[in-house]
Amino acid sequence: MKQTYRVLAGLIALGVLVQAGSVAYGWFDAISAVDAGTVIDGNYEGNAGHMLHGMIGMMVMPLLGLILLILSFVAAKSIPQARKWAGIVFGLIVLQVALAFAAFSAPIIGALHGINALVLFGAAARAGALTRAAGAGGHGAPAGAVPSQRTGTSATGSSLPA
Amino acid sequence: MGLGLAGWYWSASLVPSTYSVMDMGHMDYGGGPTHAHGAGRSVAELTGPASGEPDVAVELAARQESVELAGGERIEGYTLNGTSPGPAIEARQGDLVQVTLTNVDVPDGVTLHWHGVDVPNAEDGVAGVTQDAVQPGEDHVYRFLAEDAGTYWYHSHQVSHVQVRGGLFGTLVVRPPRVPDEQDVVAAVHTYDGRRTIGGRTGVSQVDAEAGEPVRVRVVNTDNSPLRAWVSGSPFRVVAVDGTDVTGPAELREEGVVVTAGGRVDLLVTAPARIDTGGGSALVVGPEGSEVPARPAPDRQVDLLEYGSPVALPFDPASADRRFGYEIGRRIGLLDGKPGFWWTVNGRLYPDIPMFHVEEGDVVRMTITNDSGDVHPMHLHGHHAVVLSRDGVPASGSQWWVDSLNVEDGESYEIAFVADNPGIWMDHCHHLDHARDGLIAHLAYAGVTEPFRIGGAAHNEPE
Repeated sequence: MKQTYRVLAGLIALGVLVQAGSVAYGWFDAISAVDAGTVIDGNYEGNAGHMLHGMIGMMVMPLLGLILLILSFVAAKSIPQARKWAGIVFGLIVLQVALAFAAFSAPIIGALHGINALVLFGAAARAGALTRAAGAGGHGAPAGAVPSQRTGTSATGSSLPA
Repeated sequence: MGLGLAGWYWSASLVPSTYSVMDMGHMDYGGGPTHAHGAGRSVAELTGPASGEPDVAVELAARQESVELAGGERIEGYTLNGTSPGPAIEARQGDLVQVTLTNVDVPDGVTLHWHGVDVPNAEDGVAGVTQDAVQPGEDHVYRFLAEDAGTYWYHSHQVSHVQVRGGLFGTLVVRPPRVPDEQDVVAAVHTYDGRRTIGGRTGVSQVDAEAGEPVRVRVVNTDNSPLRAWVSGSPFRVVAVDGTDVTGPAELREEGVVVTAGGRVDLLVTAPARIDTGGGSALVVGPEGSEVPARPAPDRQVDLLEYGSPVALPFDPASADRRFGYEIGRRIGLLDGKPGFWWTVNGRLYPDIPMFHVEEGDVVRMTITNDSGDVHPMHLHGHHAVVLSRDGVPASGSQWWVDSLNVEDGESYEIAFVADNPGIWMDHCHHLDHARDGLIAHLAYAGVTEPFRIGGAAHNEPE
């Protein structure tokens, strides 16, 4: 269960990287197309980078976030604060989509879309790290290498956020 | 339980594989009397003149193939009689026009819609609404009277978001009986694979015209988004919009003009002049070899709400029989099971779209409001509507008749028309990708039935 939680959180963090890469590629390719004489206006359909960004952002990421959230209820016993961080991650994904759509009317909101992506990356990474804290007891051993139980030392609690 | 609800929500958004447009969405009688829905004459009976020798007879063969544009570039698209744009059809006012469309090898099927011509319903060329898509090896004959002079165009209305973009269109000009004082040039603007063209040619095209002589340039926007055109080297007048003459058009020097997607604007210039249509495409009319330097695109566009001199309307919109609202929005939801950020009409997603019901002779008012974050070129089939106001400001210029209206984000237009052409008509966004995503509605007359179906054996897919 912890493995799955960690993998999902990791996929979401990875997804943020793919999203950043795909949209940057999309617009650099568009700029290059403009230099080659392509007209970019309301008729422009976008390129592979835009398409990938749209599909991952609208479908894959919300789905991953939702699965993580559902899983967190099951994993709550073995991973402290699993629900809280899954909730934060899912909330940030929803916010990210909402910011994107708002930015079509008010492009300046697009700046928040970019910033929120970094926040989401951090939150997803933090969620993934929860399993290590829970599993390894803070000894630095690979997560999942030791049985998941609280050792009663201060290590588990100390790494949790306030 | 939660999963069950989610499943129900998802399946409720699915669109059946075949259905009649009469069965979808919700009835809207616009405050007028209700009437029986789906009884009476069939759309298929509402044809143009069945007998009589045509004055203009054209045969058009549609193919899906690699197209060589006039400038030599090749694109994968569609042709009519081997070219894109297809043949420029010309007629005189009052002519009986007959067009035989043959589908040589377009696998999805084709139709021809006479954009801006108020043809009888069965000649309107909308797959699944006024006819079945013409399958490979089949043909279909369109016959109609060219009653109104003006600039029009024709295009496929089957899988139109792909076929029109790929070049399955052409122009139709209906000339008035009088001998014109000016030279006449058609400028069909189309973007093929990101290349802006006029008459299929990228860059600057040239048409011979004697210096000092007037030239009417009929600008046709066959793309999905609004076109900004401007004139260099000569003052100009906007003499017609969507096929209707402007009364008392003032001379313009500084302004540009917006031609909405699907819309047409006739510009009267004095040669030599240069008409720019963006993306490096331009048309120079003047003596051979004349060079007209392009001025930069103007910031200001002529406002047709106050352009020209006012004339009394031929009907009284104050005594409207029905009033409809066409509110365009956008929200997150499921469209045919697909999550996304979709267009809404009156707050609802396709296929829950309005069916505006009218009776023949009704005076109809419609308020089109756009709060969707994007511009929408709204196109009403089979009718011309006059603009009454924008954002509450009444029209003060010449009668502004449209079949394609540019409604910007945040704008609200009130239009009016007389329901004088019985049938089932589409009323949709002419950004054809938006139409594919459900930004459509229909106008239905009392006593008209719909024999055609979306989907079905003919795989009708109008958008």
